[in-house]
Amino acid sequence: MSEIQAYVNERVLVVTSDGRVIVGTLKGFDQVTNIVLADCQERIFSPDDGVEMAPLGLYFIRGDNIAVVGLVDQEQDSSLQFGALRAQPLPEILHGA
Amino acid sequence: MLPLSLMNTAKGRPIQVELKNGETYNGHLMQCDNFMNLTLREVIQTSADGEKFWRLSECYIRGNTVKYLQMPPEILDLVKEERFQHRSGRGGRGGQRGGRGRGGQRGTWGGRGLTLN
Repeated sequence: MSEIQAYVNERVLVVTSDGRVIVGTLKGFDQVTNIVLADCQERIFSPDDGVEMAPLGLYFIRGDNIAVVGLVDQEQDSSLQFGALRAQPLPEILHGA
Repeated sequence: MLPLSLMNTAKGRPIQVELKNGETYNGHLMQCDNFMNLTLREVIQTSADGEKFWRLSECYIRGNTVKYLQMPPEILDLVKEERFQHRSGRGGRGGQRGGRGRGGQRGTWGGRGLTLN
């Protein structure tokens, strides 16, 4: 079974190919990395304001658009001061550009 | 849990679909298949910039254009219930996929062979 099986029911951070960052609880996946995330939030980074957390609920992301699935270290994550964090948003992924 | 079984459970419920080009479609999911092709009813289509809206009574979305689906959270519980019903109804494990269907058919053939002998 693929390595991602170990992430099921854990908090994961997904980077999509359009540059979005989505954090949620991994509920399921399949051979083509379609992914089900529960209790999702999008983290919107900006250079001027703090990180905006947009609640999204239950999300099903098609595998085509997924760049990264990472396990979240919850202790470290909850110790971050997102309100004070300034960062450029990720650009979208360009294929063959 | 397989993502496609979640999608099947979401049939008849309101979902939001975002396509790779950024357009979104809000409507009730009527049909879906293993390619993630979808048909929606009573749809509101929104342009990628979020400024234009269209109402469609029905639409078909080719699966490979989908970026993501957003669904009501209670569907997760429904998937669990359905899985439980499948198990207690027919026994065995592994859900409702092809393998078991084929196994059943082979059984019928075997039976017929026996009566001929």
